[in-house]
Amino acid sequence: MRLEIKNITKKFKHKTAVNGFSMVIDANECVGLIGPNGAGKSTLIQIIADILYADEGEVLLDGQKNSSMKHQIGYLPQYPNFFSWMTAFETLSFMGTLSGIAKTELQKEIPLLLEKVGLGKEAHIHVRTFSGGMKQRLGIAQALLHKPALMIMDEPVSALDPIGRREVLNLLKEIKKETTILLSTHILSDAEEICERFVVIKNGHKIEDATKLELIKHHQESAIFLMIRKEDLKWLTMIEHLPYVKKIESYGDGFKVFVDHLEGDANRLLQHGLDSKVLFTKFEVGIQDNLEEIFLELVV
Amino acid sequence: MHAFIALSKKEINQMTKEYKIVWLPIVFILLGLTQPIMTYYLPVILQSAGGVEGIMIDPNMAKPEGGEVLASTLNSQFDQLGIIILAVATMSIIQGEKANGMMAFILTRPVSISSYLNSKIIIHYIMAVICIALGYVVSYGYSAYLFTTVPMTQAMWAFVFYCVWLLFVITFVAMMSTFFTSPAFIALISIVVLLICRFTAGLHTILDVINPASNSLSATNILMTGEVGTWYGINVVVTLLLVLLMIMTMQSFIAKKKF
Repeated sequence: MRLEIKNITKKFKHKTAVNGFSMVIDANECVGLIGPNGAGKSTLIQIIADILYADEGEVLLDGQKNSSMKHQIGYLPQYPNFFSWMTAFETLSFMGTLSGIAKTELQKEIPLLLEKVGLGKEAHIHVRTFSGGMKQRLGIAQALLHKPALMIMDEPVSALDPIGRREVLNLLKEIKKETTILLSTHILSDAEEICERFVVIKNGHKIEDATKLELIKHHQESAIFLMIRKEDLKWLTMIEHLPYVKKIESYGDGFKVFVDHLEGDANRLLQHGLDSKVLFTKFEVGIQDNLEEIFLELVV
Repeated sequence: MHAFIALSKKEINQMTKEYKIVWLPIVFILLGLTQPIMTYYLPVILQSAGGVEGIMIDPNMAKPEGGEVLASTLNSQFDQLGIIILAVATMSIIQGEKANGMMAFILTRPVSISSYLNSKIIIHYIMAVICIALGYVVSYGYSAYLFTTVPMTQAMWAFVFYCVWLLFVITFVAMMSTFFTSPAFIALISIVVLLICRFTAGLHTILDVINPASNSLSATNILMTGEVGTWYGINVVVTLLLVLLMIMTMQSFIAKKKF
């Protein structure tokens, strides 16, 4: 299902939470919405789930307004809350009935789904005794129950332990083929695993929208990382004065040499080193930040 | 429709789990008992507990009719303590789910706001009617036993009019529960407004037409005199319109997501 977000603005009393936000997510695409706390992620997600009312703009699903497409949306709130007096099975049965799923189908589907999210044994236990992680799993189960074409998830894995995280990520990978997924998170390694595309939001504005590759390429530093033996350290003082070397920084166990034109200058530098009888233990052209660093660079 | 049924079932289950289905009827049965028994035994109690001096109990005091006793069950038990208890018992029907996010969560499903609201109001109304009916039947029985029998048709009609007023009571509390976030405030404002309505009923003919509490007055009139009083038809219609208006207000309030 294609999701179009058109120029959404949402103001609260003292703060504009989302400001003129637009994006398009194509069918079966998985997009990670990342941003620092208070950036407007949850507000945006709640607007898409039709919980909050946008002051301006609209959300379209396959060209239709989101409020008329609720049977196609699976929504997982950041802190899923359920009726504490219901069991896990009853909760899913209740939510499923609201989505118009037949009773016989529910009887058949719910045990399978509970098994999938790792709550097979807890099916008939009251939700009141559930831990945060178990509630999260139940929340994921209810979002999957009616086989939605669009999944919107607010921090789906943040509250889970590593095992639960793995299970849920695998589950998402499984449904990814036929579902459009939008998830917000601040744990980038998780998003990295299932999403191809990232949208970075800060202070309600979209500040970046790119695929993982583009993002990394975009933020590649024009620098060479090299490691040399201690005996050769004096070579560094020599190259410092070369015209194409802009700056040398100590970085980890080695050094970052910043240059103007990465490829050409790398060759010249390597040649210079070899001529000076320097032994390189490591020579890396173009330093790739990981997503975490790119994220920090973008939002701080 | 499936959503309405599922939500109604959920309301009933919730009432069962909270034991509301047990204690609310018991409270109203006790309230229904109080009036005939107190009226009957009050002279005796006063005589034995109040000491001899200073109190004169007229032995020739006319024994009240059963209809009068039943009428005062409605207007001095159900319309006072009864309203307070109902307001407290229903104050969080919407506020509770608004506060813990369940309402928003339920509404992310293909559920219309009207089936959400109607399921709540209808189930709580039915519950209130059952409780009042139980209290009323007990009161009827004791009035007949200790005083005189009230004609069945009169008692039935009085109950019907009382239920119209009851519908207003439940809808009003639900509306307050939609608007406000503090349960204590919801209970307080509901009780104050509803009691003001009840106390101003019968003061002014024109005001009575739009006052939903006049339905309660009609019920008492039927029991005491056998007559409904004037304007009762218009009064019922006006009350039902008010209820409709309140439901529409709640609906647009939730639709605009002002909660």
